[in-house]
Amino acid sequence: GACRVSMSMTEIRAGFTAIKANIQARDPIRTLSILSHPHSLHKVKSSDRCCITHHLFNFYVDKVFKHCKTEDSYVNRKISSIANSFLSVRRKLGHCHEQNQCICGQESTEKLKQILANYEGLNVTSAAMKSLGELDILLDWMEKSH
Amino acid sequence: SGELCCSLLNPRNVRFESINMKNVLHWSAPEGTSNGVLYKVKYSVYGVGKWIRKPECRNINRTWCDLSNETSDYEEQYYASVKAFLNGMFSEWVETTRFNPLTDTKIDPPMVSVSSTEKSISIILTAPEKWKRTPEEESVSLLQVYPGLQYNVSVLNKKTKKRWFFSISNHTLVVPWLQPGTAYCVSAQIHVTTPLLDSGFSKEHCIATLKDK
Repeated sequence: GACRVSMSMTEIRAGFTAIKANIQARDPIRTLSILSHPHSLHKVKSSDRCCITHHLFNFYVDKVFKHCKTEDSYVNRKISSIANSFLSVRRKLGHCHEQNQCICGQESTEKLKQILANYEGLNVTSAAMKSLGELDILLDWMEKSH
Repeated sequence: SGELCCSLLNPRNVRFESINMKNVLHWSAPEGTSNGVLYKVKYSVYGVGKWIRKPECRNINRTWCDLSNETSDYEEQYYASVKAFLNGMFSEWVETTRFNPLTDTKIDPPMVSVSSTEKSISIILTAPEKWKRTPEEESVSLLQVYPGLQYNVSVLNKKTKKRWFFSISNHTLVVPWLQPGTAYCVSAQIHVTTPLLDSGFSKEHCIATLKDK
């Protein structure tokens, strides 16, 4: 069956919009993207969307937010509020995964491998900050395709 | 030769200004300069290696450059950069922040058309179109770009000054139980919840309900 998860995109969006300029300014590497190159998320087949969403939420919770401490307490608060929203959605997506409603095909496995390779191509802090700065790429894709 | 390099002050406030995804790069002249400064422009797709020159904006003296064509894929994000020249001196390249056409554009108000009967007003709303290269190109409504697009509609009774607000996803609205022979003014705004984008309110369209027979 379909995996239906409710989440407050508006809240996450508002949190990210508030710190987007600050976070993206910390990422000087224009020539590399974690999420969108060489293959755009928008090219993912609909059957693979749930799997990619599930794994990307794991990616952000396990590998991104915890490495994104800044000297700015306002920015840190926004990051932790986004992280909390991701945590609750990840839990719900986890249930879908357990009930086999979130199957990973070969394409999504390849895509996830590419994202991890892009991430591991940088040092942890740069990779985490770049990934956080690309949150709107994830949100744009989720809103458009879900 | 090193001294000549970058002895011209940089262009300032380099940024994209976007309306309905017509994406135009704007900047201000280097401080203390006004006439005679020329500029060139380049842009890049975020995540892709190379800068791409914009030939139509090479050696220009204006302080804007339309990059709508180059940034029309709103599934991508972009940077643009400007360099200034004057009397053999030149500035550094000055970059924009990362530009996301989907979230960083402004949206025009909707078009509003109204008609009336004795006791009701019918309102038809049309969302603006996404920028397109040529008039012949197929139009894309911003409704297609932002599936969650809604309309906030304000209806004012000119006599009593009473105002109603409606929030609708549909593009038509019928306001019933109105007073015959009365002038009503309608104005509407586009509201996209995520990403959060609001247009301004359209100008008011006033119409009178028909008189009682």
